[in-house]
Amino acid sequence: MNPPLLEVSNLQVEFDTYGGTVKAVRGVDFTVEAGRTLAIVGESGCGKSVTVQALMGLIPMPPGRIMGGSATLRGIEILGRKTVQGREVRGAEIGMIFQDPMSSLNPTMTIGDQIAEPLQVHRGYSHRQALARAIELLELVRIPEAARRAAQYPFEFSGGMLQRAMIAMAISCKPTILIADEPTTALDVTIQAQILDLLKDLQRETGMAIILITHDLGVVARMADDVAVMYAGRIVEAGSVDDVFYRSAHPYTLGLKQAMPTNHRDAVQKLMPIEGSPPDLFAPPVGCGYCPRCPHAMSVCAAQPPAPFSVADAHYSRCWLQHAQAPRTVVGLYTGGHHD
Amino acid sequence: MVTVRRRDAAPEPPWVHGVSPAVPPAQISVIEAVFREILRNNTMWQYTLKRLIQGITTVWFIATATFLAMHNVPGDPLSAERGTSEAIRANLAARYGLDKPLAEQYFIYLGNFVKGDFGISFTQQNRQVNDIIREHFPVSATLGVLAVIFAALGGVLWGALTALYRNRLPDTIIMFMVILGISVPSFVFAALGQLTLVNLNALFGISLLPVAGWGTVSHMLLPALVLGMGTMAYLTRLMRSSMLEIIHSDYVRTAKAKGLPAARIFSRHQLRNAILPVITVLGPAIAAITTGGFVVELVFAIPGLGRYFVQAVQQLDYTVIMGTTVFYGAFLVFMVIVVDLLYGWIDPRVRLQ
Repeated sequence: MNPPLLEVSNLQVEFDTYGGTVKAVRGVDFTVEAGRTLAIVGESGCGKSVTVQALMGLIPMPPGRIMGGSATLRGIEILGRKTVQGREVRGAEIGMIFQDPMSSLNPTMTIGDQIAEPLQVHRGYSHRQALARAIELLELVRIPEAARRAAQYPFEFSGGMLQRAMIAMAISCKPTILIADEPTTALDVTIQAQILDLLKDLQRETGMAIILITHDLGVVARMADDVAVMYAGRIVEAGSVDDVFYRSAHPYTLGLKQAMPTNHRDAVQKLMPIEGSPPDLFAPPVGCGYCPRCPHAMSVCAAQPPAPFSVADAHYSRCWLQHAQAPRTVVGLYTGGHHD
Repeated sequence: MVTVRRRDAAPEPPWVHGVSPAVPPAQISVIEAVFREILRNNTMWQYTLKRLIQGITTVWFIATATFLAMHNVPGDPLSAERGTSEAIRANLAARYGLDKPLAEQYFIYLGNFVKGDFGISFTQQNRQVNDIIREHFPVSATLGVLAVIFAALGGVLWGALTALYRNRLPDTIIMFMVILGISVPSFVFAALGQLTLVNLNALFGISLLPVAGWGTVSHMLLPALVLGMGTMAYLTRLMRSSMLEIIHSDYVRTAKAKGLPAARIFSRHQLRNAILPVITVLGPAIAAITTGGFVVELVFAIPGLGRYFVQAVQQLDYTVIMGTTVFYGAFLVFMVIVVDLLYGWIDPRVRLQ
């Protein structure tokens, strides 16, 4: 069997700060298949951005440190390496776009030149060739009057246009994976929808995989094929989007769903916030990270970290409630067909 | 398909929303058209023109202020002469126009300035102020320009280096030197430089570099170094903090994510942006260096304009004071404009907004 496009296993990242060492990512595993979209969801500080930055080699070292784990692209290790079989990982095999397009582009360089740069560096294009291709790419991301726009500077673009330009830049070398780190958080809702549609269309045309980092479950529902829910530096539940949304197998996922507003006219249920705050990652908890906030916590939860319990094919949950001997009393928690 | 979005259209100018109700609607469209035309043509040329007009206004202001200030100083160029009788003084005053009302003197003075005539020195035999400037300013300017080039290159280089090696040994060493450079005055550096040079020349038995005087490039090196030292130290600090900010900016992260080599990230993305604050202060730095050069000129026995400037003030030599002050002022304003244009060339936001 072919190895998956991208396989990340047991990734651990730490940061040295004046207050001590923050264990930001504490053993993360996931796989990404070609042409599919994996959404990594979680609240601020759960380690989702750090995870993908580690893949891209964007963790500043020091203070950051990759403590262990591996990430393989078609079976070949990429952590801490710049090239895979002669192709550069950053910018060529994997493209990346960021949260704030306003500050993510160089203010003193034209948009066209910035899009042309990866082509010159990775593909050996001349400046003229690269610029011509950059204009085609701007057309591809549906920027009108691309030739004129390419000669303009970032401050002459709106936020939505800048994010399109960022996408054009990220896909310029036809990457097999596009990482989108909260690509629509800084944009207003209509522009958000357009950017997401654009990403979907580009994925259909090029067959690239997308890793989408977000905290917006609406975006996940619209975009993702697979979902990984992260909490306190670990993935607590992962599966297909239908599995995670309709057969949630972790109390944290349930909590997120209950805290999400719906637009059903006859909805009567109140929004339920998740009480408390995430654990201190200077001294991560011994057991389950969600235990102090979990309404269904048991004594074992504080003492031992839960293993990933498989609840269905390609759907797992790190929760002791999934253990064969755990009580089946939590309303709405999916525990898999084989336990009934 | 995506239709054209309103957000991406050009923002409507504020006057469209009825800011000036007094103007009838037909005229609004005309005014608007003119404004749009100006905005569309707001190129480098208009920016240059605007800056030039501002510069001329500044020079006029300097000339006026110098004129008024000088006439409020007690005494005049003739009062220093020994044994001049009242009658001779009055004749001389009439000859030079010093008996006329202040306003009339002012307009004569301005008129001559516009013609480029700074007059004749009161204290030096038969010398035009223009000649003094023509003869001695090139010396000061050469020294100043060398010092500025030296300070700017050194400042940018050392500043970038300290930022890249933040909190490591090179940073510590350079920042220690910077504090020395800022706190030690230039005449101390000048004397120490000469002393070192004398010892080196004695040690090697040949004259590596002349210790003082003027004439060849080798005469210029040490004075320029000494003159630029303080500014270089200041620019190093500025460049360091600016560079540290840029290193952690989002667009440098983007450049890394694009897989660009470190050298390209440094030259294309970090340096150009980090250099902006340095260029901003380059104008005042040139001012400080050219006008502050007279101490160094004195120590190295360089025949620059600074010496005449100081002498003229001591002797109340009206024409030389006014001539050199306005000339210095005009020169500095010109340099600031050049720096502004340079800034516009490097930062498109300045040029186009």
